[in-house]
Amino acid sequence: MPVMGDDGITVTIANESDIVTARQMGRALSEQVGFQGSDLTIIATAISEIARNIVTYAQRGEIVLRPVTANSRRGVVVVARDDGPGIPDIARAMQDGYSTGKTLGLGLPGARRLMDEFEIQSEVGVGTIVTMRKWLRR
Amino acid sequence: MGIPILKLGHVLIASIQDALTDNDLIQLRDDLSSQVGWSRATGVIIDVSALDVMDSFATRTLRGIADITKLRGAKTVIVGIQPDVAFAMIQLGLDLDGVTTGLDLDEGLAAIGRGDRGDAGHG
Amino acid sequence: MADLDFSAHRQAVHLTDEDIARHKRFVGLEAADLPRIAAVRPIVMERVDELTTMFFDFLRGLDVATPLFRRGDLLDEAKRMKREHLIAMVGGVYDRAYVELQLELGLLYSKVGLDTRVFPGAFYHLMNTVGAIVMANAGDDPQKAFQNFMAVKKIGFLDIGLMIDIMAAEREQTISIQQEAIRELSTPVLQIRDGLLILPIIGTLDSFRAKQLTDSLLRAIRANRAKMVVMDITGVAAVDSRVANHLIQTVAASRLMGATVIVTGLSGDVAQALVSLGVDLGTLNTVGDLQGGLELAERRLGYRIARQADSSLETA
Ligand SMILES: Nc1ncnc2c1ncn2[C@@H]1O[C@H](COP(=O)(O)OP(=O)(O)O)[C@@H](O)[C@H]1O
Ligand SMILES: [Mg+2]
Repeated sequence: MPVMGDDGITVTIANESDIVTARQMGRALSEQVGFQGSDLTIIATAISEIARNIVTYAQRGEIVLRPVTANSRRGVVVVARDDGPGIPDIARAMQDGYSTGKTLGLGLPGARRLMDEFEIQSEVGVGTIVTMRKWLRR
Repeated sequence: MGIPILKLGHVLIASIQDALTDNDLIQLRDDLSSQVGWSRATGVIIDVSALDVMDSFATRTLRGIADITKLRGAKTVIVGIQPDVAFAMIQLGLDLDGVTTGLDLDEGLAAIGRGDRGDAGHG
Repeated sequence: MADLDFSAHRQAVHLTDEDIARHKRFVGLEAADLPRIAAVRPIVMERVDELTTMFFDFLRGLDVATPLFRRGDLLDEAKRMKREHLIAMVGGVYDRAYVELQLELGLLYSKVGLDTRVFPGAFYHLMNTVGAIVMANAGDDPQKAFQNFMAVKKIGFLDIGLMIDIMAAEREQTISIQQEAIRELSTPVLQIRDGLLILPIIGTLDSFRAKQLTDSLLRAIRANRAKMVVMDITGVAAVDSRVANHLIQTVAASRLMGATVIVTGLSGDVAQALVSLGVDLGTLNTVGDLQGGLELAERRLGYRIARQADSSLETA
């Protein structure tokens, strides 16, 4: 179950139905922040990719969704955290088509294209944190 | 929850009702591939108009379905991709090249009737 | 510009708590200022009507402020709000509610089209008057009175800062709304036959506009049940690899919805240049000119064309 707190909404990601929950919560929150139309689908799609990576590669983790404001711009931030195996070569993982799971290899680079800001930190044996933001056009 | 598959003449129609989990999609792939075999269907239409997103997993699975049904002699048409979903798919880097697409069920049936090739949405 | 009413599309200008805190830091407002302001409060309260009248008298003397004085209803509203604002200025609480009040006043000013530049002047004048009054009531401690006045002055500058923010945001919004309207006008998606859309693209194609264009095309495809789209790029200013990639994406997205796009107006030279830059044009259906593109589209849709199509159209 997603947990709502002062710090936004936390969705525990432990199986594939949590992926659906995470992207639905992300869409709902983004709508509240003021996003419309295709932006909602874009944010939900990026969340879906990052959540799926947690299930596939780390088995469990969490996704935190929060509204953000900076320099009087509003937006949403998505933070995906896991303490799975980590990514040995982040630069390669960010390339279109690179996959260790024999899938399309578009999740990370695609999510980066969909969102306005994208950061990834990962350490082998420690885990992975992906932080993505999307800003409302003023 | 499985996705119901209807049979209309020689065409199997699967209408996705809601946001799908990965298992639902895999289930659909397995159901369709077995049903195409024994029903001797010549066409499969998957209506995705209720899908909230098409991420890389969903796209890959749908493509997989098109490939499998083709091996069994049936042509798959994917219909109902919404404008917002199409837009997000393209930005993500996804495509359905080689799979016939259509606006809705009517278009899907027409495409199967015409025997459209898979490399263009139409014609 | 003033004739277009975009107010329905307008979103409220948004100032966050962070913004407010930042403005307070700019003017150096600190806790020690609050008792000083409190000391000035009775002096200002006693003359609040006088100060309000004076503020508007000052504005009346400036011809850039005439729009406000032509609107009797709004003028009364502005006076009432200004009076309330003067009271709040010495009220000691500068929170969201305080800013809201400013915001309302700011919106009202911008509604009548008042020039932002009149405010620093009017404010300066008001502050001078307040200063004079405070000093006249200084009694035997002018040093202290001066300190008190300086504290109030910080609120004055806080107000100017907020007001400028509000009006700048308003103006920015107006500009972006107008730009949007212009953009929409400049990318019409037209249905010319059942199932056939034409999208003439004119001007420059940056990524924001490309996104918008794709968005409206996809919606039009669904609304018109279109199966063919002729996208004419004759009028696109400079087709470089970025523009070409945008176009390729638009075509791919249309295809996902079951529509085929024919691109017309791409000159051979440009096409060659793009290919040498590594752009994959292989996925594009291109036809030299608009007429040829339309004929091909109609043929694909099964329309019979009266005029014999010329063989150069078969390149698609
Ligand atoms: N959370 C994660 N933990 C460990 N490895 C990951 C994680 N996310 C992505 N990866 C690695 O990065 C690669 C690329 O990911 P992605 O772009 O989503 O493509 P795909 O999932 O199709 O492989 C994956 O194959 C995997 O090796
Ligand atoms: Mg992935």
